[in-house]
Amino acid sequence: MAKPIDLLQGTLDMLILKAVSLGPLHGYGVLLRIQQISKDRLEIQQGSLYPALYRLEHQGWIASEWGESENKRKAKYYRLTGAGKRRFQAETEKWNRMADVIAGILSTTPEEV
Amino acid sequence: MTLGSRLRSWLRAILQRSRVEREMDAELRFHIEAYAEDLVRRGVAREEALRRARLEFGGVERAKEECRDARGASFIETLVQDIRFASRILRKSPGFTAVAVFTLAVGIGASAAVFSLVNAILLKPLPYPDSSRIVLPELISPPGVNLGSEYFPWGQAQFRMLTRDAHPFQTVGAFQNDTFNLTGAGEPASLDGFRASQEFFPALGVSPALGRTFTAEEDQPGHEYEVILGDRMWRERFAADRDVLGRTVDLNGYAYTVVGVMPAEFAFPRAEEMPSSFNFPREPQLWVPLAIPAEPKPGPSELAVVARLKSDLTVAQAQAAMDLITKHVESQDHRYVGWFNTRVVPLQRQVVGDTRRPLQLMLSAVGIVLLIACSNVANLLLTRSLARRKEFTLRAALGAGPARLIRQLLTESLLIAIAAGGVGILIAYAGIYFVKALGPSNIPRLREVTLDLPVLAFALGISLATGILFGLAPAIGAARENLVDSLKEGNQRSGGSRITPRLRNALLVSQVALALVLVIAAGLLTRTFFQLLGADGGFNAERVLTFQLPLPALKYAEQDHVVTLFGNVLERLRAVPGVQAAGIGETVPMGGEGESTVIRVPDHPAASQKEMPFANFTVISPGYFSAIGTPLLRGRDFQETDTTDSMPVAIVNAAMERKYWATDGALGKQVGPGSTRFPLLTIVGVVLDVKHTSLREETAPEMYVLYNQKPWPSLLNMRVALRTKADPAAMTESVRENIHAIDPDLPLAKVMTLATLVDDSMAQPRFSVFLLGAFGALALLLASIGMYGVISYSVLLRTQEIGIRMALGAQRRKVFGMVLGQGAQLAGLGIAIGLVVALGVTRLMASFLYGVRATDPLTFFAVSLLLLGLALLACYLPARRAMRVDPMVALKYE
Repeated sequence: MAKPIDLLQGTLDMLILKAVSLGPLHGYGVLLRIQQISKDRLEIQQGSLYPALYRLEHQGWIASEWGESENKRKAKYYRLTGAGKRRFQAETEKWNRMADVIAGILSTTPEEV
Repeated sequence: MTLGSRLRSWLRAILQRSRVEREMDAELRFHIEAYAEDLVRRGVAREEALRRARLEFGGVERAKEECRDARGASFIETLVQDIRFASRILRKSPGFTAVAVFTLAVGIGASAAVFSLVNAILLKPLPYPDSSRIVLPELISPPGVNLGSEYFPWGQAQFRMLTRDAHPFQTVGAFQNDTFNLTGAGEPASLDGFRASQEFFPALGVSPALGRTFTAEEDQPGHEYEVILGDRMWRERFAADRDVLGRTVDLNGYAYTVVGVMPAEFAFPRAEEMPSSFNFPREPQLWVPLAIPAEPKPGPSELAVVARLKSDLTVAQAQAAMDLITKHVESQDHRYVGWFNTRVVPLQRQVVGDTRRPLQLMLSAVGIVLLIACSNVANLLLTRSLARRKEFTLRAALGAGPARLIRQLLTESLLIAIAAGGVGILIAYAGIYFVKALGPSNIPRLREVTLDLPVLAFALGISLATGILFGLAPAIGAARENLVDSLKEGNQRSGGSRITPRLRNALLVSQVALALVLVIAAGLLTRTFFQLLGADGGFNAERVLTFQLPLPALKYAEQDHVVTLFGNVLERLRAVPGVQAAGIGETVPMGGEGESTVIRVPDHPAASQKEMPFANFTVISPGYFSAIGTPLLRGRDFQETDTTDSMPVAIVNAAMERKYWATDGALGKQVGPGSTRFPLLTIVGVVLDVKHTSLREETAPEMYVLYNQKPWPSLLNMRVALRTKADPAAMTESVRENIHAIDPDLPLAKVMTLATLVDDSMAQPRFSVFLLGAFGALALLLASIGMYGVISYSVLLRTQEIGIRMALGAQRRKVFGMVLGQGAQLAGLGIAIGLVVALGVTRLMASFLYGVRATDPLTFFAVSLLLLGLALLACYLPARRAMRVDPMVALKYE
């Protein structure tokens, strides 16, 4: 397995939104899901996860409520709000355009200039 | 991002702080435990799993702090934190907090109360629409003529001239006070009222609560039998009956139809709002038309005038227009030359009148108290911030920035200021209540005084400003501290920076100086008060009953009739058991000003009519002087044998004798009213000067004439004085019965003992003394607290030094003296500065003083001594503490 890479600045929020868009999750669940989707190729600082969750909640993209975890314990679950869904779509499009542009730039050969 | 979600999380952060914190704890714990369980499932030992979970998570506290920041509520949370911390700190030193809050609260409360008075009396517009346009055009005496007062009343003819000329007023009304005998409605009563011209009410801009004001037709002789009731009369006599319009009232024997009722707050003019020489009633109860004839006869009348300026005119322009009218009138009729000078006075200024200066005095006094309070608290905080230097240094070392420290200190000061503001408002309420309940009744607009919004804002403004002011100084000092130095010193007893003791001493010296000035002012007023108490008014107020006997003009139109009545009244009253002497006079002492008129003194003939002198002119009966207790200096009193047919006689006062017959005495000399229509009178006696309005007045020449020798003024409003053997107030009923036995329609008005009248005349000085005395006592208390604080703190700072001195053989007495000496030095400096300031300041209050000079050495000396004594007393406790310092303990005290 390759060594996990550090997150790009500003991408954690997007990953969280993606994770909770697949269904409500508690904080630890968000971490697990991102690791699962990324096949452990991303390194996420556990301590930085919660400030991001609180920030997203404060901004209204996600909402939280207390529920019961798979092993019968009280846990705080986060879900995507309507505003969050629109925000996530906008961010995704922006990211994709950005990725295309960056990829295009990086793949440019001397002949093409 | 949505506004709602932000607001929600802020609100949650503030209102549900502990819940949010608990949930955050639970959430993070869940994360770590869930991770640990996963690790356990993968075969890691439980203890090891928990350790690894915590390690991988990183700093929990840092994460929490970031979460709090992420919620965007950190500003408010820091504020909440600051407030919690500050209140904990303040609770931990209750002594300091109590003194600081009390000191400021006293300052704030006293100034808010005084400001309430100033606001209601001086600043608030009068309760009339567009009141700044209401003016009183006053007639003033020609230059060089002394009528005892600058004003003299308008005559009917003069008023007509004014209204017919091109005057600068939109409306101009005249009014004249009168007493009305109400009969046929239960107990006959004498009611104070006014005769007012048709434009009187429009000039004020007021409309009645019921009905209407007078019409132009009603304001004509023969048609004037309409009355407008005051609210009080309407309630007391007509039970607030709304159907009162059209009913008739019997006044002075005529039937008057009620056409209107004025609103409750309206009672213009009140006595305290008008020049005292007008001698207006305290509160009018009714108004009837003035009805000046179209062509009034020239001659004296007692009108006052009120007018509303044309909307685009200033008072100065109106004055210029009035001066033109004066010229016009003088050119048309030379008799008026010098006698038609006017002065246009804004009503607001007239109403405020003489209270402006006492209020300014109060305002200065309370300003001094506030200054002392603030400097006291500043000193307290400064001292405390020095004592807390170690704490600040430690916090700075732990990473608190200067801004954060300043903010924390400011929060503390603001908390103190807000608490003091709250307590201060309570004190202000109490103060206002007190002033309203006990203040002299002649303060204008006192009933309008309330602790209203501007005053609250003012109090809050002072408390916030002082909070910031005295919070900032120590805060900046603390922030500038050199961390390394203070940590190295390691204790707070090394005196702090070199600036702060000097600042504290300067504050203390200024406190002492301010207190000295205030207490000297209070001392001067107190001496004035006692001088007044001892002042000879020319009468003896013990056991004298006085009352007014207003006669119905219709029934007593003939002067003979009146003379007979008075003869009967005196005869009956003298026969009442317990009555020692009875007399009738136009005035009684302290009962207000009497008549004053032009007189003729053949020994001193005037060059022209304009230069004829004035004198007070009082009609009395025999027995008057014995009744009020005025001693006869020379000659004889009026006697029953002085009648219409005998030689016309007069009695003069000592001041008059001094003025005209200083060398050979007044007895046997001749004097008379200005008009030659009246015969000259022969002076048969000289009496002591009698004061009329207050014990502080300068007595003027006065002549007394007999009521039964056809004197000139009306006899319809005389006063009766009775000297009794026992309590005069107890005689009231038998006196009333005896008067009613002569004429059941005669009302008795203003039944009062002479002692009460004297007491009333002392109300204002007594009140000033009381207030200024209270402020002075507060200033002394605050300055003593300040002195105690500074000296005991300096003893604390010097404990080590004192210990060394003692170890080296200094005697305890010497140490004691040293501390006292330090206090005495500061107090002495403060007293010296205060004395210089007081010398300059007290001269401004010369008009408040009587029988004592503004630079009275006794007061200055006694107050300085008092302050020095208090300062030494405040130093005594710290000095004793210094004396008992144990050298061993002091040196080990590190």
